[in-house]
Amino acid sequence: MKKINETIAVILMLLATVGTIIGVFVIEGARRKKFYTVELIARSPLNGNWYPKEFKVPLGKEAKIYIRNVETVSHGFSLPEFNVSAREIKAGEVEVVKFTPDKRGKFPFFCTVWCSNEHLHMSGEVIVE
Amino acid sequence: MADKLFGLIDLNWRFELTKFKLIRNLFKSRWFPLLAIIFNLFIFVIILISGLIGGFSAGNYNFGIMIVWILWWVMLMFILVPIFSRAWCLMCPFPVFSDWLQRGALFVVTGLKLKGLGLKWPKALKNMWVMNILFLVTTFFSGFFTVRPLATFILLGGIILLAFLIGLVFEKRSFCLYVCPVSGFQGLYSQFAMAEVRRKDPEICKNHKVKTCYVGNECGYGCPWMLTPFNFTKNTYCGMCLECFKSCPHDNMAFNLRPPGVDLLVDEKRGLDEAWKAFIMLGIAMVFFLTMQGPWGFLKDWVRGTSLKGYLTFISLHTAFSLLIVPAIFLVFSYLSKSFSGAKEVSLKKIFTNFSYTLVPLGLGVWIAFSVGIVLPNGSYILHIISDPFAWGWNLFGTRSVPWTPVFTGALGHLQGAVLIVFYLFSLAYGARLSRQTYPTEEQAKRGWIPILIFLTLATLAFLWLYIG
Repeated sequence: MKKINETIAVILMLLATVGTIIGVFVIEGARRKKFYTVELIARSPLNGNWYPKEFKVPLGKEAKIYIRNVETVSHGFSLPEFNVSAREIKAGEVEVVKFTPDKRGKFPFFCTVWCSNEHLHMSGEVIVE
Repeated sequence: MADKLFGLIDLNWRFELTKFKLIRNLFKSRWFPLLAIIFNLFIFVIILISGLIGGFSAGNYNFGIMIVWILWWVMLMFILVPIFSRAWCLMCPFPVFSDWLQRGALFVVTGLKLKGLGLKWPKALKNMWVMNILFLVTTFFSGFFTVRPLATFILLGGIILLAFLIGLVFEKRSFCLYVCPVSGFQGLYSQFAMAEVRRKDPEICKNHKVKTCYVGNECGYGCPWMLTPFNFTKNTYCGMCLECFKSCPHDNMAFNLRPPGVDLLVDEKRGLDEAWKAFIMLGIAMVFFLTMQGPWGFLKDWVRGTSLKGYLTFISLHTAFSLLIVPAIFLVFSYLSKSFSGAKEVSLKKIFTNFSYTLVPLGLGVWIAFSVGIVLPNGSYILHIISDPFAWGWNLFGTRSVPWTPVFTGALGHLQGAVLIVFYLFSLAYGARLSRQTYPTEEQAKRGWIPILIFLTLATLAFLWLYIG
């Protein structure tokens, strides 16, 4: 009985540690693959700007952009060419925008909330292929 | 005649919770507190992941920062320490890896010989000084821990690693007893707690020649905190691991409820290390209030290291205030106490040390009041982060969109003031008794108490001014 209890304790210990770490990343990996086309990190220009600054989406297919504001200030998102915008993305929050590109080319996107003195430089490009 | 606290509660009153079979069986089971430790380990793994992923991002939507500094800290100061003593140590996951390594098992009792080098902790460091310094140094980075997830990751990761390494080299829970920065203040303030682990019948322990609570047996390990549970008289160093409940063949250990603060009157192992812990905690509480909850922006800039000069100024002033100025002021009042009492035969060190315990209730009150100032404005973030612990857009419990909602902040200062006054009264109640312990005659005790009473009143007024202004 003691041996069984010890085995259960070790299994619980492994689940709490290694299991949790693996589980979290496997679940998130699968979720992103299923639900999002690209992950976009929002940072003001002096802290790294949009990351990636440039990303590709396929023509004619719905693109889901997963925007994470990892800063302590609010950001916004706008892709004027396709009439796409997000609400104010507050510090630490996540927002998803969807659109279906109907033309090829390079199109700029911007931050729409005054986030810093360099706010006007917070821009990137979407490449539709 | 019974000595009654505020004329109401007999200081000798005890209510044994372990007389209930359910609680006694729980305490004797090897699954407890192991399951609680494993659960907390799971939470801390999530905290560490969120801290690492969060990096330099916003702290207010970070699981690690919110759970550690809003929920855990507040629970510690509100409930765990003042009511249940070192109940956090009971379920703390930090030393679980070194325990596992030393024992070679998680659940079963493997034998009396533990693995690891098992060196004895240096005699000169068998006190609270290392913990005092480590806790003070930790607070140098307070401006980062509460806003940068990575800083919290480094702190907690560092503590877990240090606990493991010390467990490899030194015997049993040397880390918890002499190093852990969280352990020191819990030990000090647990003297105020409303619960205790004690033996029931001293005669049973006296006649039990093999002290299994100390050396262990097939049912439980010998006290991991290297104490002698058969003659516990105060909570300070008991980590409530409950091994003594398991190893006692006579079921002679009890978990009692009691009036708050009775340990303050136990004249055992009183020393300057514990006195300084009380000063440091009071000093840190004031510095934290000024820098975190006060209106002075330049202080916040100093603490957050926006300039090196400002940051070094903060560290210097903070260290000088907590380590030197507060004790120095108290020394002056202790000297006045000696002079007023007229008791030349009582040493200044004894007066200084004994009366430093009057700062335990006051200090705890100050920290509870500080915690009120954390939880009321920021508590609502908890609802967000439990649904989205990694800021990945998860919504586990449907509470991700709950906005930041400060609660009762209009009454915050008055709530803090009320808490402080309650604990000030406890300080007075025990201060008068400590004075009678310190001085040989009632008359000397009355006169010697006056300067300390003035110090406690001035300290309370200073905090009240900060809270209510």
